[in-house]
Amino acid sequence: MKNINLKKGLVALTTAALVATFAVVVPSAARAAEPSCSVAPLALYNVANVTTCTGVDEKGSKYEIRMPAKFNGTLFLYSHGIRKSVNLPAIPVVAPTGYVVDYSPEVAPSAEVATSLLKQGFALAGAGVQAQGWNLTEQTYAALLLSHEAQMKFPKISKVVAWGNSLGALSTQALAEQYPGTVDAVGNMCPSDSGLAEITMAGDFLWGLKTFFDPTIKATGYSAGTAGYMEMLGDIQKVLGVIVALKTALAINPTSPTWPTTSTVPAAYQAIPVRSAILLIGLVSGVSTQSKTYDASSGPAGAGETSFGLVLSPALAVLENGAEAALLAIAANYDMEIRAGGIIYDNSKTNYSARLGEDGDAFAAPLSGKTFTGYMLSILAAAPRVTADPAAVARFKQMYDLQGKVTVPTINLAATADHITPPGATTHFLDLYDAQVAKTRAGVEGASQAGLVTTIWNRPSDTYTTFDKDGKPVTPDVWPNGTGHCNYTTSQILLVAKMLAASAKSGKSPSASTVAAAIKKDANLFVDPNYRAPLFKYRQ
Amino acid sequence: MKRISIVSAVAVAGAMVLSTLPAQAADPGVTSTEIKLGLSSPQTGTVALSYGKLPKAMKAYFDYINANGGVYGRKIKLIARDDKYLPTQAATQTTNLVLNDKVFALVGALGTATHTKAYTAAQLAKNNVPDLFVNTGFSGFDNKTKYPTSFLILPSYAMEAKIIGKFIADTPTLKPQASFLVAQDDEFGVDGVNGFKLAGHTFTKTTLYPQGSLSSALAEGALTGFSAAPGKPVIVLMGTTDTTATILKAAEKLSLTTKFNWIVGSVGGDANTLLALGVKSTTIDGVMAASFFPDAKDTSDEYVSQFMKINAKYNPGVSFDNVVLQAMNTAMLTVQALRAAGKNLTRAGVISAIETKGSTFASAGLAPLNYSTTSHVGYNGYWFGQLNAKGELLPYITGKRTLYTTDSTTTSAPVLSTYERKPIPKNGIPTN
Repeated sequence: MKNINLKKGLVALTTAALVATFAVVVPSAARAAEPSCSVAPLALYNVANVTTCTGVDEKGSKYEIRMPAKFNGTLFLYSHGIRKSVNLPAIPVVAPTGYVVDYSPEVAPSAEVATSLLKQGFALAGAGVQAQGWNLTEQTYAALLLSHEAQMKFPKISKVVAWGNSLGALSTQALAEQYPGTVDAVGNMCPSDSGLAEITMAGDFLWGLKTFFDPTIKATGYSAGTAGYMEMLGDIQKVLGVIVALKTALAINPTSPTWPTTSTVPAAYQAIPVRSAILLIGLVSGVSTQSKTYDASSGPAGAGETSFGLVLSPALAVLENGAEAALLAIAANYDMEIRAGGIIYDNSKTNYSARLGEDGDAFAAPLSGKTFTGYMLSILAAAPRVTADPAAVARFKQMYDLQGKVTVPTINLAATADHITPPGATTHFLDLYDAQVAKTRAGVEGASQAGLVTTIWNRPSDTYTTFDKDGKPVTPDVWPNGTGHCNYTTSQILLVAKMLAASAKSGKSPSASTVAAAIKKDANLFVDPNYRAPLFKYRQ
Repeated sequence: MKRISIVSAVAVAGAMVLSTLPAQAADPGVTSTEIKLGLSSPQTGTVALSYGKLPKAMKAYFDYINANGGVYGRKIKLIARDDKYLPTQAATQTTNLVLNDKVFALVGALGTATHTKAYTAAQLAKNNVPDLFVNTGFSGFDNKTKYPTSFLILPSYAMEAKIIGKFIADTPTLKPQASFLVAQDDEFGVDGVNGFKLAGHTFTKTTLYPQGSLSSALAEGALTGFSAAPGKPVIVLMGTTDTTATILKAAEKLSLTTKFNWIVGSVGGDANTLLALGVKSTTIDGVMAASFFPDAKDTSDEYVSQFMKINAKYNPGVSFDNVVLQAMNTAMLTVQALRAAGKNLTRAGVISAIETKGSTFASAGLAPLNYSTTSHVGYNGYWFGQLNAKGELLPYITGKRTLYTTDSTTTSAPVLSTYERKPIPKNGIPTN
């Protein structure tokens, strides 16, 4: 770890203007001051004598540092995933008891992980960023400040491992790229792709729902102020209404479910099973066909076993995943539009037939055949499109875009059926990194060295859908490992942490044999240097 | 004097021993003693009744080869995984074969939708995994840019459609009749539809259905509609065997079996499976079908009789039928491909060997193989026959097989072929 030139960092970020532009809901910012520290056993975690320091940085982000009594010299600097940027009233599914924007600091992916790391002698730190929503710039900066603050407070910190989840992983990689020397190892878990890639995926799904099932969904172009906020809430209600209608129709008649009454698709086209329309918008937007309940393969024992796995399961999975994707799209897009000052989602030139690609062949049966697929694509082709505001997009693009510049050992952990941050984000990062390595080989100075990135892929079991005695699919209490968003087990996260700590010390990536040994007993993890998950549709 | 290093001496001795064995290759799945091959195909689920015999029949032939010395001393180990004929499962299991099982090559993968998804998901092109003798007639797999490691074995559905179109046009009893096509509404059926267009054949009506969706009620509705046509209309079925059975049983229920001239595509025309699925032997009697193989019951055929012997010994209790014949033929081609690649076995070597020598491999197929540096097409022709009540496919009317060959993309008419296949290698053991 090198000394951090904080002043240089501040200038490089030109943050004053940038942060002001993107500020959404900012709590009253307190001036940075010495953190308040206390020493106590953490009863909840059963860890003795941990010094806990809390404070607020100069931009108003709350932070927390936890320092165990028997410190081993390495700090884990954690960046949390995206949180909603606005308060919400009680809304089923989205916020059953209401939501108040959460600015609390988060020092680790979970309490169990925090406990284990503290017991091993690692220090932990994390911020609760002063602006929530798509806060890439603010979060990167908060991590930079916190790293500096922690080292000022605890000079015995000799190594810093930066790691994060989802958007926090993106900001962690951004931190490492923008401020080389700040960290000694990087852990990117369920990393997000860029804001435009993510909003294109979620926005395409939302636009598909609007086009097929309820054209009164606004989806983009929210008004300023309270009116826009109410429009956003209205969209959430409408999307929930569509999802409930679709789920009800599928429960009544899974083979030929009816279309929602809010749909304005011509009656002749509504002869197409609506499950095929759901699947189509999932495939063109890139939503996973494996979800919490559905593995796109299993069927209830008996005559319908194969047909359930073939025809129904992929569509049901898309609906289960897509409900979250669409609701995320509303909240995230509302936030991004405010940040950028206009519409940033754009499908004005999107060719959805091309987006479908060979998925149209592989999923021909659940799409109800080539003929119906063609009809559905013709509806999408003819539907009104959304054109982004170029100035808003330009403002949004001022946020840092990953370059694949890697100077310290970096470990990615990505799930193949993550429905919020699909693994294509990791593939994109690996492609960027490969390009940097190629530059180095071509003699370009300052590009990445080979052999610094390790990627561990997390996949679901081959089959996991279960059925009750009546042949109905059973939704498990927890997402199966390999599906869901950032749905890693504690042991998976800890094995990544262990390798990160070792890499931070040695300056080297874990060897192939070390990684193989670490994941040997976990059937849901694999490593293969040649494996690449499909890129986001935005990038294909 | 230098001291002699015991370690060095042992290393030299070891090297001398190793030099007598085939050189170790860097590619996964091959050692000095073993070649690991992978197969993803349906072993359970509704399609397993038709194709479930593939893995064991293939393994039986490999066991036979292993018992006779293997391939340059290496035993073949076949790892078979069940994909249930589901695209997502095929992608999962093919990925498992490549990443977990670390197979050297895939062999005999089955299905268009399944293998389309599996090929991409398992990144066979990027890993340069030989994708040997794929059991689908989708002509798209001949796109070397997209599927550079795939080699088809079946003639394309477009070729089959062109030859069926010519057969109808050349057969006086069929030509004047109304004609109906019932086909899967996916790459399989669309390939067939395109083939009929290339052949210039126009159907009175084409009914396309998504795979797995043709219920008995829908079949009965379609047949009732077709039966309004005068005379003895022609119905062409291009679907999987279970769908063929659904339609034929619907015809039985409606007493329409003799109302139509039935033509069944090669994929859905296995008589044994149709009988097993409950189709009456009297219904099958007279059904016309295209094939590029000898009939699996034709014990006068040297390939059939040899494979029957192997099946009896290494796959006991399993009846010999077209699927077993297909599986053993695929396995025999695989052995020839591995041998053609030489002792220093590599993935690139196998691909190159099939491109340069594959068209000369011995095969039970009655049509030529078309492998070259520019083509990954397998067989390119069919002969026409008629099933009898025993389920035997006999040459149509003439008593002699008439083979036509063609391509997938042009309007040029299928041509009469004089191709004579190579004799089976002695005892069915390739020595190429």
